[in-house]
Amino acid sequence: MKSTWHKPRPGLWPALFLCAGLTSLEGAQSPVLFNRDIRPILSDTCLPCHGFDANKRKADLRLDSLEGATAVHNGHQAIKPGDPAGSEVWRRITATDPKIKMPPPDALKKLNAEQIALVGHWIEQGAIYQKHWAFVAPVRPPLPDVVRTNWVRNPVDRFILATLEAKHLQPSPEASKETLIRRVTLDLTGLPPTLAEVDAFLADQAPDAYERLVDRLLKSPRYGEQMARHWLDLARYGDTHGLHLDNERSLWPYRDWVVRAYNDNLPFDQFTVWQLAGDLLPHPTRDQLIASGFNRCNVSTSEGGAIDEEFQVRYAIDRVETTSTTWMGLTMGCAVCHDHKLDPITQKEFYQVFAIFNNIAEHAMDGNALLPPPSMPLPSPEQEKQLADFDNQKASLENKARDIAQALHYTDPATVTNAPKPEPKEFVWIDDDFPAQAEVKADGPPVQWVTAADGQVFSGKRALRRSGKDLHQVYFASSAEPLTVHAGDQFFAYVYLDPQDLPKSVMLQFHVSDWANRANWGDPDAIVYGKKGTTEKVQSGELPAAGKWERLEVSAAALGLAPGTRITGLAFTQFGGTVFWDKAGVVSVDDPAQDPTVSLVAWEKAEHGLGDQSMAPQEIKELLDKKPAKLDEQERQKLKDYFLTAVYQDPGSNLPPIRAELNALKQKRDALEAEIPSTMISKELPKPRTTWILVRGQYDKHAEEVGPGVPAILPPLPPCDVTNRLTFARWLVEPQHPLTARVTVNRFWQQFFGVGLVKTAEDFGTRGEWPSHPELLDWLATEFMRTGWDMKQMVRLLVTSATYRQDSAVTPELYTLDPENRLLARGPRYRLDAEELRDYALDVSGLLNLKMGGRGVRTYQPPGIWEAVGYTTSNTAKYTQDHGDALYRRSLYLFWKRTAPPPTMITFDAPSREKCWARRERTDTPLQALVMMNDPQFFEAARHLGYRMLHEGGADDAARLRYGFRLATDRNITATELAILTESLNAQRERYNGDEAAAKKVISVGESPVPADVAAPELAAYTMVANLLLNMDEVVTRN
Amino acid sequence: MEHEKLFWQNTTRRTFFKTTGLAAGRIALASLMFPDLFGSAKAQTPTARAHPGLPGLPHFAPKARHLIYLFMNGAPSQIDLWDYKPGLADMFDSDLPDSIRNGQRLTTMTSGQKRFPIAPSIYKFARHGQCGTYVSELLPHTAEVVDDLAVIRTVYTEAINHDPASTYILTGNQIPGKPSIGAWISYGLGSEADNLPAFVVMTPRWSAKRDAQALYQRLWGAGFLPSRHQGVALRANGDPVLYLNNPPGVAPAARRTMLDGLAKLNEATFARTGDPEIQTRIAQYEMAFRMQTSIPNLVNISDEPKSVLDMYGPEVTQPGTFAASALLARRLVERGVRVVQILHREWDHHGDLPRDLPLQCRDVDHACKGLILDLKQRGLLDETLIVWGGEFGRTVYCQGELRHDNYGRDHHPRCYTMWMAGGGVQGGIVHGETDEFSYNIVRDPVHIRDINATILHQMGIDHNRLTYNFQGLDQKLVGTEAPAFPVKTILA
Repeated sequence: MKSTWHKPRPGLWPALFLCAGLTSLEGAQSPVLFNRDIRPILSDTCLPCHGFDANKRKADLRLDSLEGATAVHNGHQAIKPGDPAGSEVWRRITATDPKIKMPPPDALKKLNAEQIALVGHWIEQGAIYQKHWAFVAPVRPPLPDVVRTNWVRNPVDRFILATLEAKHLQPSPEASKETLIRRVTLDLTGLPPTLAEVDAFLADQAPDAYERLVDRLLKSPRYGEQMARHWLDLARYGDTHGLHLDNERSLWPYRDWVVRAYNDNLPFDQFTVWQLAGDLLPHPTRDQLIASGFNRCNVSTSEGGAIDEEFQVRYAIDRVETTSTTWMGLTMGCAVCHDHKLDPITQKEFYQVFAIFNNIAEHAMDGNALLPPPSMPLPSPEQEKQLADFDNQKASLENKARDIAQALHYTDPATVTNAPKPEPKEFVWIDDDFPAQAEVKADGPPVQWVTAADGQVFSGKRALRRSGKDLHQVYFASSAEPLTVHAGDQFFAYVYLDPQDLPKSVMLQFHVSDWANRANWGDPDAIVYGKKGTTEKVQSGELPAAGKWERLEVSAAALGLAPGTRITGLAFTQFGGTVFWDKAGVVSVDDPAQDPTVSLVAWEKAEHGLGDQSMAPQEIKELLDKKPAKLDEQERQKLKDYFLTAVYQDPGSNLPPIRAELNALKQKRDALEAEIPSTMISKELPKPRTTWILVRGQYDKHAEEVGPGVPAILPPLPPCDVTNRLTFARWLVEPQHPLTARVTVNRFWQQFFGVGLVKTAEDFGTRGEWPSHPELLDWLATEFMRTGWDMKQMVRLLVTSATYRQDSAVTPELYTLDPENRLLARGPRYRLDAEELRDYALDVSGLLNLKMGGRGVRTYQPPGIWEAVGYTTSNTAKYTQDHGDALYRRSLYLFWKRTAPPPTMITFDAPSREKCWARRERTDTPLQALVMMNDPQFFEAARHLGYRMLHEGGADDAARLRYGFRLATDRNITATELAILTESLNAQRERYNGDEAAAKKVISVGESPVPADVAAPELAAYTMVANLLLNMDEVVTRN
Repeated sequence: MEHEKLFWQNTTRRTFFKTTGLAAGRIALASLMFPDLFGSAKAQTPTARAHPGLPGLPHFAPKARHLIYLFMNGAPSQIDLWDYKPGLADMFDSDLPDSIRNGQRLTTMTSGQKRFPIAPSIYKFARHGQCGTYVSELLPHTAEVVDDLAVIRTVYTEAINHDPASTYILTGNQIPGKPSIGAWISYGLGSEADNLPAFVVMTPRWSAKRDAQALYQRLWGAGFLPSRHQGVALRANGDPVLYLNNPPGVAPAARRTMLDGLAKLNEATFARTGDPEIQTRIAQYEMAFRMQTSIPNLVNISDEPKSVLDMYGPEVTQPGTFAASALLARRLVERGVRVVQILHREWDHHGDLPRDLPLQCRDVDHACKGLILDLKQRGLLDETLIVWGGEFGRTVYCQGELRHDNYGRDHHPRCYTMWMAGGGVQGGIVHGETDEFSYNIVRDPVHIRDINATILHQMGIDHNRLTYNFQGLDQKLVGTEAPAFPVKTILA
């Protein structure tokens, strides 16, 4: 837009000053603060066109800095400090002429009279710009003076009280002891206190009873679980990859580490460094490596057709966004495509940070694998010992074998001249049964063996009978006894075709690594497998004669099966008809010079180029793949040693039993390894990936190449040789960093008071909210650092404050004044989080299983939720529910499929964990009511609570209801409440006494056994009352 | 006490509208999803029901009050269904000219292919309706209502893989985390439905091969919007809405007894604490109770005459089919539900297209016609916008082996076909033109952003003005990076 600058009309200012409705301000004389009052207006309304982003800037005017705003354009100044009338901005925002009015009439954002007046005051008071508060390192403020000093318990209260007193408000009295213990126990452990704990606390009259309670809770293992729950939202932790196939992945050791780290009170600076760069620490410990899984929690794909580079870029962007949101409350993602419109972060600076996170040694395609590398196995000490034992045994067996082998006087038959011409010999593979350990399967009719009494048998005691329509077959793909192909081999099998029911064709299929070698007799088009004229389908003759046994024969050469190939499986396939199949195997020329189990030369030839198909260890494989001429003497000897020890079939030696032992040992070791969990970790590429600025954020549009760095608005990175994630992580927790401590203490505040001091916990940038108590935020941030980033101490400070301990009752007057309770003139009161609601019901019903850690569990879930979205071949396409104790684990351990998370959690505002989440909503919907009333998990809990009431509550209804109410709420029931519950109980009892069948259904919900020691109608009535209790506002709310 | 209670009732209502209106602050006070929440207070505040959406919305007089979005997940082949290219018949197995492909970004499934042989469609096309629009023989029923359709042949996108592409068109961004179109509309306009969610989603079964591209709950999720705006799945098996039915043995009367006791106890808590949230909670439990009746009524189609059922085809009485879902879509719209989305899977035909595409078309074709005609006969088509389409198109060249009777097609983002009907859209028109290979757009391109802008426009929403401040940015369905424009030329 072309801009012309005019002298403002004099005289406008006072008129507007009057009509601007200053009544809502605290008077014209109170100082206008740029950060609090003016920046939000500029950010919201002016800076999109007159801000930091040079490409979007209009009229070459910048209003985000004093320098830009006071620059003289054609003799005019946008802002002339102290002189609204001399300021073009003032003229524009007060103009009525649409040609000069700002914001222009078509702009989406307008200024209201109050905002216009604020700008006027601000210019009048000198137009003082301040650096955005969050980019200035916090300075510890003095504690404010207050009048009611006796209310104050710790410094937090001084700040809160000072604000209240300034507004002539009183804090609320302390909440009852029952309320306090329930509130703080829920906050610190995610579970309600037991009645014994409540009683003990009520009985404890010492002045520090509450503080000791807090100390006890901070030592509970439940504390770590509760804190971890919040952190895992930020970490975007899930149990599946999150994109496309959404297969399972293994990162739960990371989740369990987070719990441990909180319980061990790992200082937050180390908590930070381990997660972002644990792998880069010198000699990282196992926990430091597990913690580095934080960087791997991002969603990933292996979608067919996806381009590696595109996703590599996405993963790095996600890591930058997650890290900047979590530690800095910065929306750096806004600078992926262009300079940040509002915050001073250039696109280049974004890619400098990106460069730091662009070097994880991963594959862009996750392979839909459980453990896309890099990953790390996590054997327990016990398992480690077992592994070592296995390895020792193995070594000693191998030594033994080597000694025997070395004692052999071996002559390679291939090197013997004038050896007699060998005779062909028949090796039977299948007769009367399949080879050992073959996994036999059938398509069409099931496997059927017949004897001579009920069918045709060619050899031995029995034969296979196959009779059916269309294509059908019996087959196995692997067995413990594969066939090794020798030169000149002929495969054979015997068939007997029923003349009354001829097949169209019969086929033998041979399995190597896949089914790709077939011989067909009869109609070449009947069986669809394979491409005709290739080794996939070799036409080997007409349909054999019926009514007698015929021998099918086909040579290995015709099938394209080279000597040395291992045939692991066979299929008898036919199209229609009735066929008996018997004795099958191979006719081999038994030439020791050609036999890879006898001749070293033959073995080397057979194994050469086999690659992964070879069973030899890696080192030997590599030698085998070399050209024989290139092997040196030592290598030759190595091959020979291995051959004699592991391969050579010498009838006279003692090797076979040792080899069998070794084999058995390997199987045991493999089984143990399969049991050992592993976790995804971070690892740096030896050579960093090149990072460019990406034009409009497009992965393939490279602009300038950039190296690692951080935005200029923040302190510089410490100088070091290599700038990597470790440098960055350490920089985050340097004392002069303005954001990390503030952002972190703010989230603690949010956790315990419902809303952060900065409500936008995810955004401390210029459009983030001005803190409700800026000095308190800075005091807490500096205190956090001063105490060595001690998280438990910070938590303790917050929950032992008088502010936290207030009663939450609210008067209409106070509610009108402060509906969101930002001033904290009362205690916080809000609905429990999703996980807490479920854990609560399980806990008070006595069902809760407190086992910690491990792979995610799958509790009750209505059918069809995974199936409705899952890719059909995904390993999370079908939900398989767990049983027994697993149904009652804490919600933290629920298996989290990210494209279809647990429905109860999602209904109560849990994020999907597809990306970093700093602040949950708290909604209240009918769907939530349905969950609480009808989800079998909750209803089964109600039955158990009902049972507890009946069994532990006392002799009569009143005692039982009292007990149940107290279990659910941790307080004593009132007479009115007892009357309400009694009425409800009586109505339900009457109903179920008249309908025992319905009662039995009620008490059978869930998989826990139905108690036999109580009448069904009675338990059903109590179940319904318990269901009522668990739905009470007071129960679902943390008061 | 009475006085105080009255104060709270009013405060609850006020705060609710204020907080949702400002899209900020504590939003837990009430549910937008279920506007009947304040039904009992209607007499005192008659305006409470009138504008359950944001103040100032709709931005202008809407043409459509409801949206039915028929999403064909996997990407139907435009070349075999809508974008008739007779000239290709003579080019069987000839190479796609390099000048046409022109450096196009290919998926890694075909980027390694040595040749790009042209695979003409084996399906016959004919002109239909008064408008004479070409439609493939695979869609005989849809062809009968082509005079009601605005066929857009020039939709394009940048994404080339399913997950990002579906996420892109339905949430405006390829990366997970943004609200879906239904959530945006629910947020902006609220609902007119009594006792039903504002945004309902169905995922019917399909007939072709079992391997179908996945869906993701984010495609109907609320992203950063309050979670009450997320689509509620209407299920064909089990409870139609999750946990709707009481547990076995709990009759409605037993539930009523429990709720009566609950309300009394909650009132007592309210009297003690004064937290207006409690009043909201009481109301939500009552709403849940009413839903236990209203939703079974909704899904029980025994009141539909045979003449109506027949319109949707023979599968309409089988729950979980596309036809059954289409009928439910009409019943939902009739009851005031704002957005209904049906996501039908398995349109991803890399190979064996002639085996699978006809089965997929048979699933949806008849019911698409039925839905249009049924809405029309009820006078609802004018106020209901129907959108049909997938996440991208498919290539003219063959993926894998090309035969005269068999072929496959890879992903193609540069052009594909969607159609719209009703809701103020012109019928019987074709928008845009692609080249002779259905590879590049020759005239009137429509970015998927523009599709979304058009949908919002028809619902009375300026796509630039429906925003939500999240992470410091005024987020929009159409994204913030490039401008979007409603396709005005297809509007009536």
